[in-house]
Amino acid sequence: MIQIDNVSKHFVSRTGGSLLKRAPKKIVHAVQGVSVEARSGRITGLLGANGAGKTTTLRMLGGLFQPDSGTISVDGIPVATQARAALARMGILGDAHGLYPRLSARENISYFGRLQGMEPDAANARAEELARLLDMGSILDRRAEGFSQGERMKTALARALVHDPANIVLDEPTNGLDVLATRSLREALRHLRSVEGGSKCIVFSTHIMQEVELLCEHVVIVAQGRSVAEGTVEELLALAGETRFEDAFVKLAFNTQREAA
Amino acid sequence: MSTSLMRNTWVVLAKEVVDALRDRRTLLRLLIPAVAMGPLLLLALSGLISSLEERAEKRELLVMGIEHAPSLRNYIERQTYTIKTAPADYEAKLRATTLLEPVLVIGKDFERELLEGEQPTVELVSDSANQRANAGMGAMQRLLGGFVRERAGLNLALRGVSTELLQAVDVQERDLASTQARATRITAIIPMFIIMAVLYGALTAALDSTAGERERGSLEPLLMNPVQQIALVLGKWGAVAGLGMAVAVLSSLSFIPAQWLLKSDSLQAMFQFGGHEVMVFLLLQLPLAAGLGALLMALAIRSKTFKEAQAGSALVITLVGLAPMVSLLNPGGEASWYLWLPGLAQNTLMMLVLKGESLSLAQVMPSVVIGLVLMVVCLGYVARSMRRAVVGQK
Repeated sequence: MIQIDNVSKHFVSRTGGSLLKRAPKKIVHAVQGVSVEARSGRITGLLGANGAGKTTTLRMLGGLFQPDSGTISVDGIPVATQARAALARMGILGDAHGLYPRLSARENISYFGRLQGMEPDAANARAEELARLLDMGSILDRRAEGFSQGERMKTALARALVHDPANIVLDEPTNGLDVLATRSLREALRHLRSVEGGSKCIVFSTHIMQEVELLCEHVVIVAQGRSVAEGTVEELLALAGETRFEDAFVKLAFNTQREAA
Repeated sequence: MSTSLMRNTWVVLAKEVVDALRDRRTLLRLLIPAVAMGPLLLLALSGLISSLEERAEKRELLVMGIEHAPSLRNYIERQTYTIKTAPADYEAKLRATTLLEPVLVIGKDFERELLEGEQPTVELVSDSANQRANAGMGAMQRLLGGFVRERAGLNLALRGVSTELLQAVDVQERDLASTQARATRITAIIPMFIIMAVLYGALTAALDSTAGERERGSLEPLLMNPVQQIALVLGKWGAVAGLGMAVAVLSSLSFIPAQWLLKSDSLQAMFQFGGHEVMVFLLLQLPLAAGLGALLMALAIRSKTFKEAQAGSALVITLVGLAPMVSLLNPGGEASWYLWLPGLAQNTLMMLVLKGESLSLAQVMPSVVIGLVLMVVCLGYVARSMRRAVVGQK
């Protein structure tokens, strides 16, 4: 179970400017009040336009930096003070998910297993198990150098799941995947959520409506760094008074924005 | 150190070493300069020296107009030199470095002027840009000096004056350098190549495990493992320093077979580079590999791309790689601060070993202290910068 409670984060950026003139400091409020409660055995979708603050929120969840305010806990463990204990309970497929090109898929996966504290044999066995689940047995012993986008994504996902975490966090995992790969990813996530798959708590960020409709039991809409609405797809449709989910999303995400402005 | 920290460090180190060793092409490209260049240069130098020795053994003299100087000819032949007539276009040939010996030019009236006491002029023709020809000048000057002294002695003797009056002081040379110390004029290039080997070995691994990791987008997932930051840094650093040392080992060992191929016998007799020297050399490199490995990582961690990191490290590589030049340009003027400068310190110490001198703790300590300080400061910086590097990535 992952609880993100009213977190906010600002960055100071310097962009633009010219050779002689430094760009003025600009404060960017990337996240200003996002709350998500993701329960176990449920796929929670984080839906928002590009730049809405999804990735920043998930990076704070991964302990890469501290939120300015608000708290994040994983299975009751606060990320801010016990980052390592919290990270051990999470499998995170982040925005950046580069592989080591000179290592095989198996080595990529078991390296992270070892870093999660697993023994070599256990990590290796787990890599094979995940290869079956994600249908990537044929590439397991190939070097990551020549992998296709889908193969890279599967390997990165397997790497995040190697320690069989109770909480799974995926940041736009379907980016760049074709229909078949997206489908098999969905199958895998449904399996992981089910009782046989371990009733995992899955947080899934995306900007694609269809993904959310097909997969998520619980949806949090993020716009302009805030979580503006949440509920099941049906509840959100009812809330917006629309029949198409896309219309509901636009209404919920961008109307609030206008109010805020 | 806690066991989990040690275990994690080891996991990271093992992975980084495997990763670096898989990069065959880069390794090969770095091994060629590190392992082959030194011995090749050594062989070329030995070829030069043996050809100089050969020339000395041949005792030949190129002369223009020897027919005008029968008495000089007599003297030269008594010194067991063979006289050869210089080619007519010797000036052009000397300039073009196709003629590698200086030429003695004798004027038409030499013999007459000599007899009449008119001080005839002879010319020693060489080209100071033509190094091989220039190297022969000394021998020729000594030879002619001998002739002049002999003539002067004879003239004085005829007048009943002791020749010893001409030499008010008896000057004798005494060379204090041991055979090994003399050999260091040639072997001085070895330390430079070994220092470069450490740098080359550490460089790619240092860049790949920091800026490369960031560019690939694998640093962020790596940091989201429940591993102590310092374990990541230490593991990576261990691989970087280890690879620097590994290339240094190969480079040092490459000089052992190289000395069997030395052409010059006298050089081979002087050149002493065996197991003992290799061991001491490697021990001396440890602080260099530790300190510079960390420094290269610290420079690379904030770079957004591999390319940027390479540009940043070029300065370090050049400075440390060329540091031994300081002692080449200022031979003998060894100052105590030499021992505090990474690169120059190792060079100075290695030169002492090559000269067959023993090292004292006071001589070795500065480089060890500097290496350790550099390592601690830079690794601390890398550990602090890792997370910030990821955030700035966006």
